[in-house]
Amino acid sequence: MTNEEKYLRERVGQENPFRTPEGYFDQFTANIMAQLPDKAPVAKKVAMPLRHWFYAAACVAALVVTAFSFHFHAASNAPQQVAVSENYIDEAADYAMLDNSDIYQLLAEE
Amino acid sequence: MTKSDEQLLTQQLTDPKSQRTAFERLVREYSEPLYWQVRRMVLDHEDANDVLQNVFLKAWAHLDDFHHDAKLSTWLYRIAVNESLDFLRRQKNQIVVSADDGSQNISQTLMADRYFDGDDTQALLQEAIAQLPEVQRTVFNLRYFDEMKYSDISQLLHTSEGALKASYHIAVKKISEFFKARD
Repeated sequence: MTNEEKYLRERVGQENPFRTPEGYFDQFTANIMAQLPDKAPVAKKVAMPLRHWFYAAACVAALVVTAFSFHFHAASNAPQQVAVSENYIDEAADYAMLDNSDIYQLLAEE
Repeated sequence: MTKSDEQLLTQQLTDPKSQRTAFERLVREYSEPLYWQVRRMVLDHEDANDVLQNVFLKAWAHLDDFHHDAKLSTWLYRIAVNESLDFLRRQKNQIVVSADDGSQNISQTLMADRYFDGDDTQALLQEAIAQLPEVQRTVFNLRYFDEMKYSDISQLLHTSEGALKASYHIAVKKISEFFKARD
């Protein structure tokens, strides 16, 4: 204890000078209990419905697919040397349903 | 209340079937010590009664928020301190009084109060305490009158023990100087 605290305790003491009306504490409990509202029901935590999880998953999947598509498209547009297959012309001809004579004729017309 | 009594009461407060009865026991047990905490802060009996009612109504409303890692008594005291400080701040906003006039009014008001049995010295002591900043006032009251341990005050006010010791010693010094100036 410091000297100042000793001085204070000797000078003013520690008595409680406050008083209450008679019977105050006896009545207080009854007063408070009469005012207490009924306990509100505790809010239950509601789990998100299953379909909401599906919607969320679908959105994420759509974003991922979009991101991949964008990346793939960007990659395919990049200039690159395409190795021409020796079979390319044959394949193209088959696709176009052209035989060799048709091709020669086309080339001659150019 | 013993530790085991408090633990039992805490359990009963969580059970909806026994909650109301347990709360009544809580009010009966803690209303008087909490009242004196509040009264030393707000000074007037009617104000203390209002604040104390708010303390228990708030405790009832927030019973589900009570974390069982803290003591029930600490939780209640914390609500009481906060409600008292809120009251003082609202009161300060409503009445603007100069430091000198306010002090004399407090002393004179207390001497005229039928629920104040102290003498002039005790009225002056309350006047000196009322001049302290609100939180420092709380620390002084808890330490000087209740001789509460700094560790317990620390839990109540969420302030370090070092800061509390410093705050208390400053408060003691201010109040000592207040009286020495009058001696």
